[in-house]
Amino acid sequence: MNKINPLHIGLLLIVLLVFMIFQLSKVKTELGQEKDTYNQTRTLALDLYGLKKVYTNKQQIQKSINRILRLSALRSAKIEKKLTRSGVILSSLSMDKYAVNAFMSKILNGSYMIYSMKIKKLDANKVALKVEIRW
Amino acid sequence: MIGKFKKQVKTLFVDKNSTFVSVEGHVNIILSPSFYWVKKVSLPVKYLRDVKALLPSLFEDILPPKNYSYSAYKYEDEYFIFAYEDKMILDSLAEKGISASQIKAVHFAQSEFFEIDGPIEIDTEQTLFKKDDILMLLPSSWFDESQDINLNELKLSKQSITLKQFSHIVDDKTLFKISALVLIFILVIAAEYFITQEKVQDISKKQEALFSKYKLQSTMFQNKAMFKELNSKYKKQMLLRRYMATVLKLSLESKQKLVLVELKGNKLKLAFSGEKEGLERLIFKQLKVQSIHYSAKYKKNTLYVELSL
Repeated sequence: MNKINPLHIGLLLIVLLVFMIFQLSKVKTELGQEKDTYNQTRTLALDLYGLKKVYTNKQQIQKSINRILRLSALRSAKIEKKLTRSGVILSSLSMDKYAVNAFMSKILNGSYMIYSMKIKKLDANKVALKVEIRW
Repeated sequence: MIGKFKKQVKTLFVDKNSTFVSVEGHVNIILSPSFYWVKKVSLPVKYLRDVKALLPSLFEDILPPKNYSYSAYKYEDEYFIFAYEDKMILDSLAEKGISASQIKAVHFAQSEFFEIDGPIEIDTEQTLFKKDDILMLLPSSWFDESQDINLNELKLSKQSITLKQFSHIVDDKTLFKISALVLIFILVIAAEYFITQEKVQDISKKQEALFSKYKLQSTMFQNKAMFKELNSKYKKQMLLRRYMATVLKLSLESKQKLVLVELKGNKLKLAFSGEKEGLERLIFKQLKVQSIHYSAKYKKNTLYVELSL
């Protein structure tokens, strides 16, 4: 009776089948988790990339501000630009209402991180302005 | 009667009439003709495997319908073919004190005593006798002289069978079919397992690619913290723009002027010059329409409004 009993082989196969089903279920769960993690990471990566591109790209922000400052409507405003370690401060002691309109519409419509801002009316046509943009 | 063979593994001759014996360790069994049916046949087939396929039909006419196992071996140009009932033999052996786990090999008396000439007395009532090459049990009283069964000098042949414990429940053919089916399932599941594992590895690689493509920090904790910080700033900036849009859309009267806009920390401060009632009516109404929370105070002909970001 030393020969292997076919029934034992059958039982072994059934045990193997159960084991494989268990392993498959485990790896399927793992796949589901990996997919979820990947989708979450992808969403986060895209959002973070977009935010970083807008708010932390120092060179891009500087270029864009320089373009605004070159606008003909702002020439008379004599806006001063002062770079700091974390951003740029734009200020004008006196600028007319048309210049302030042009400047603010560009700043507010652009994706700049306005850290602080002060616009004070000096008289009927003039205002003093100070805006700090950070990156 | 049970004969004993003194070797490392004992050999026992077992007949249906054998008495109970206490057995230790493994034993070889020689089955008496009372346990099986045997025929000597001449068949026009070349290989033993071809004979085995024919065995059920060769016994079909002479045996009552039961679950039989079959065996065969070649002798010169002919074949000895056997039919036996596994369960009946195992039950009988168990009754005599021999369990299935103790059985090393099972042989037929036909193959083991074939070469011995003359009658062999197995007990007082029965004698093994060969007629036309078939060993059969006959009454001992028929023979004047016979030799005693001697297992000590007997060398067992290679012809042996394996008794199947559950052959009465499921036959080998069905078992092989089920096993093949289970094996196919296992292979399909194994394939699915490896494919899924490949997918897991692919996703892991894609995940790594995401980190390098979008220059993410090494841990998700750092990335989430950075996103939280930037997102909070983004929301604050959006709110500031919404508030500014509302403020700039205010249609003030000629005597009412916006004289100050100041953003400091999380506060947006606005100052309007003009009469209190008129300013409050106009500005508060607009802010309420836009669901903007505010605090306000009127001082020296100026209405100071503070909005929280």
